[in-house]
Amino acid sequence: MSPYAGPVQDLIDELGRLPGIGPKSAQRIAFHLLKLPTPDAQRLATAITEAKARVAFCQRCFNVCEGELCDICADPRRDGNLLCVVEEARDLVAVEKTGEFKGRYHVLQGAISPIEGIGPEQLRIKELLVRLDPEGVQEVIVCTNPNIEGEATAMYLARLLDPLGCRVTRLASGLPVGGDLEYADELTLGRAIEGRRTLDAS
Amino acid sequence: MRLQRLWLTDFRNFASAELELDEGLTVVIGRNGQGKTNLLEAVAYLAELGSFRGVSTDDLVRAGMPSAVVRAEGERDGRSLLVEAEINRVGRNRVMVNRQRLQRSRDLLGAMRVSVFAPDDLAVVKGGPGLRRDYLDATLVSARPRLDELRLALEKILRQRNALLRQSGGRLSDDVAVTLDVWDARLAETGEKLAAARAALVERLAPAVAAAYERLAEVPSEVSVRYEPWWRQEGLAAALVVGRDEDLRRGVTGVGPHRDDLELAIGGMPARSQASQGEQRTLALALRLAAHEVVTDEAGSAPVLLLDDVFSELDPARQAALVRWLPEGQTLLTTAGDLPAGIAPGRVLTVEAGTLRPGGPGGGDGVDGGAEPADADGGP
Repeated sequence: MSPYAGPVQDLIDELGRLPGIGPKSAQRIAFHLLKLPTPDAQRLATAITEAKARVAFCQRCFNVCEGELCDICADPRRDGNLLCVVEEARDLVAVEKTGEFKGRYHVLQGAISPIEGIGPEQLRIKELLVRLDPEGVQEVIVCTNPNIEGEATAMYLARLLDPLGCRVTRLASGLPVGGDLEYADELTLGRAIEGRRTLDAS
Repeated sequence: MRLQRLWLTDFRNFASAELELDEGLTVVIGRNGQGKTNLLEAVAYLAELGSFRGVSTDDLVRAGMPSAVVRAEGERDGRSLLVEAEINRVGRNRVMVNRQRLQRSRDLLGAMRVSVFAPDDLAVVKGGPGLRRDYLDATLVSARPRLDELRLALEKILRQRNALLRQSGGRLSDDVAVTLDVWDARLAETGEKLAAARAALVERLAPAVAAAYERLAEVPSEVSVRYEPWWRQEGLAAALVVGRDEDLRRGVTGVGPHRDDLELAIGGMPARSQASQGEQRTLALALRLAAHEVVTDEAGSAPVLLLDDVFSELDPARQAALVRWLPEGQTLLTTAGDLPAGIAPGRVLTVEAGTLRPGGPGGGDGVDGGAEPADADGGP
């Protein structure tokens, strides 16, 4: 038996299904929403409905967008030789913020994780393969997360793309800029040592 | 690392206790059920943020109380060190080192180290391979905290690979094959690294175990400690290929560091099945003392050695041998009964129903006069 009346429990259940929200947080948010003035609650509801109705995924790179193509795919100034592969649209935003990358993106919408039932078929990998030739991609930069699942996905992509004659690179792991060596955790520092570069003496 | 003082609040059966530790040997005397082991458990908690008895933190808090606090003051590399842990029934536990709150429990690794010997250690010799792997990996992490990352990575990769094996339904479709290749490569890379680290450790551990055993047994003994997984000959990648059909059928990974064993033998015979109870107990203690020695060597300073009820495990001759060969450094030892001849603790404490007092048991209850330890023996 649910402790709350029908609609309240429905709201708690729905909120509890969101990522990162447990039963207690769901309950707290639900009661917060119930206390809100009606127009405020309406605005949230409208924002969700609108976003759901108007935002879709870019048909080429699977970034979030309004319309068929996202702004980046529609931008002719972007360098078609370079393709940056990320797990989620929010990773794309992170790379984009650097201002360093002028190529295009491809969002996999996840990483290989058998525990969560995610295999290559559940990811936008086929869609990645069909882009390579028509867009004349020379280099694929694999920007998946440096964790177990992200590394496995990167290795999978490397094995898939290598025979196609496409250069595949992986984002380096290392030290945060502006930080102090003494505060770096051992694993990151160890990786940074592995990935050291020769200094240009000229 | 030396502990000087320890405070307990609502930890197990101690409502409030404070004790000073000798820089050498401190002996805690008490009948069973009075709280001897709880003291060692409190010290070990500060090093490992868990109980060596494998219980949940809830069990560490005194009945009816919301939280327990363990605080230790000591010295490491000539600097004072204060480690404090608050164990809460509800909410997160908190740890502070020198009043600084730790962000990640990983940051604690190495701040304080302990080597624990408890009667349960007999299972390392008598029990299944998993317990010997745990012994090996715990020693590895204690000597080189960074290697914990490797152990955790291996666990995660195995969980993913096993999930994939189960989903395949026993059939190797093309899709499964390609993905499995990736997990195999990840597993092989991580597994080889962990096995190499274990093998390097065993190379140092083996002579130390043999020497410790001989010192305790006082007879020449042929003790061998070997870590030689068959797959290391051909490599884990190749072994995974060979085992793939079997893995698919069973839905688990049949080969790798998670299935290895540490082979223990006395006089050429497997210690698990062929050794006497006395030999097994001696070997269990020798394994712990050897690990303590290797970690001391690797880390540059001795962990605090915690010996729980160690004399009940040994015959009088071996008790005396242990006393003679007790490693240098700080040791905290508990006993329910008589102290063996020749022991010279720097400090003796008696625990009774969760209260501590200095000196041996006064009434002679359980300890007879002849073995009454004198404080004066061991210095200040």
